[in-house]
Amino acid sequence: MGQDTMETLINGTKILVIFLSMGSLVPFLVWAERRTLALMQSRLGPNRTGPLGLLQILADLVKPLMKEDFAGQATHKGLFYLAPLLAIIPPALVFGAIPFSHPLILPSFEFLGYAFGPYTFYFQGFNLNVGVVFALGVSSLSAYALLIAGWSSGNKYSLLGALRAAAQTISYELALSLALVGLILVFNTLDFLEMVKIQSGPLTFSFFGSEKTIPFLPGWGIFYQPVGAFLLFISFLAESNRVPFDLPEAEGELVAGYHTEYGGIKLILFYIGEYAHIMVASALMVTFYFGGYTFYPFLTEDSLNGLFQARMGEWAGLLTSLALFITFLVKFFLFLFVFMWIRATLPRFRYDQLMDLGWKTLLPWAFGNAVVTAVVIFIFDFFKRGSFFG
Amino acid sequence: MDSLIFYFLSSVLIFSALRVVTHKNPVYGALYLACALVALAGIFFLLEAHFIAGVQLVVYAGAVIVLFVMVLMLFDLKAEKQLWKISPFRWASVAFVAGLTLGVTLLEGLLGSSSIGDLGFFSAKHIARLLFTKYVLAFEVLGVLLILIAVGVVALTRLEREDD
Repeated sequence: MGQDTMETLINGTKILVIFLSMGSLVPFLVWAERRTLALMQSRLGPNRTGPLGLLQILADLVKPLMKEDFAGQATHKGLFYLAPLLAIIPPALVFGAIPFSHPLILPSFEFLGYAFGPYTFYFQGFNLNVGVVFALGVSSLSAYALLIAGWSSGNKYSLLGALRAAAQTISYELALSLALVGLILVFNTLDFLEMVKIQSGPLTFSFFGSEKTIPFLPGWGIFYQPVGAFLLFISFLAESNRVPFDLPEAEGELVAGYHTEYGGIKLILFYIGEYAHIMVASALMVTFYFGGYTFYPFLTEDSLNGLFQARMGEWAGLLTSLALFITFLVKFFLFLFVFMWIRATLPRFRYDQLMDLGWKTLLPWAFGNAVVTAVVIFIFDFFKRGSFFG
Repeated sequence: MDSLIFYFLSSVLIFSALRVVTHKNPVYGALYLACALVALAGIFFLLEAHFIAGVQLVVYAGAVIVLFVMVLMLFDLKAEKQLWKISPFRWASVAFVAGLTLGVTLLEGLLGSSSIGDLGFFSAKHIARLLFTKYVLAFEVLGVLLILIAVGVVALTRLEREDD
């Protein structure tokens, strides 16, 4: 946790802040989504309540909060109340493991007569050396929330909706993990921070024994793994149960899917979980394929640190971290916008089309991508070293 | 702090492992099993074996038990619940688990307490190297065995269908 009380306190606060900001970003996303959809469909969207319709968020939240906390007679009470909580815990945990900015290194200083530091503060809830495996593992638990919600409702429509949703989540999880294998092979690490560090330099290829550097392009994952990035993005869309993969709540067939019996604040928790999934997906796409919090050649740790060092002196570290944080946020919101854009563009899949896409298209492509990447890396390594098995 | 988390996780682990065999509803049993596996992953994290913990979550808690739960939820479980009420197996299973726990504890006491210590050296690289060099044969045999099970299950269901 930390070497002294100060560090423990800050690390604890950090986790809380990340969790709370994730939760409180959801209403704004809902508002932004409605405005974006309206814009794309030549409508106005919410614009009556408050400036730009921003107070609509408040109205939408107060209404479910005022509702009666109701659970039907056939429900399994404990699980029925547990499921909405389970829906937000996995995405929140993954969100906490994603680095939002460069770690802040504070030299030792004196404050109120006590000596503090030196500290290293990570701009993430907790730093793990196997962040990718952790993210995959924890997000695979989100299927439980759907299943428990559907089953504990004691309602056949809910159960059918839950089975649909869980089958979809499990199917696309395979493609998701396999699509990532190629990237892991290229970067040769499971650590988010290290991945971002590699992407903060120029694009470098190893080509039959010679190193080729393209100085004007950043070394982002998408240039190494375009197919993997595309497959991962589709899998994320399906995992977060969004259009065009929103079959779990296909209103025409299943009433409302696994959360038919839910109302009030419990339903809101499910929605928070869904939006948290989108946030996690955007943040992971940025971290894996779009340089994380860096933007070579302008906004990298080294260039910014040099710039601020000359002007600001000792505040350089903090300013660098903040500037990189803003870089991350811009990319993050761009991706959230893409998610909304897709919602406005594409129609819903049929269920058999969904399963065909998952098992017969995405999975073989992801597998092929992993195998081709491995072979290419092996061959180029052979030319670099002059022998197999260096 | 670490030992506090450890005692919390291990009490969750033991409680839910016990409930797996004592709960009358199989769906709850499967969910408790998932809970136990997540607690076990937490203990692995505590021992700095992050990779093993992650894999534990992906494979067991995230894939295998989800399928268990999904299948159990589809069954009509009234007969099983009824059987559980009158069955002596209920107490036999409690006695078995309690005896097992007691036995392990006694064995631990007899052999002297052993500490697992830091599992941090079980990194992804280390595990991969062990799996693909020293234990490559066992690894491949296990893979073949898993395929065999899958093929066998499909074959068995096909056989039954032909009888109808």
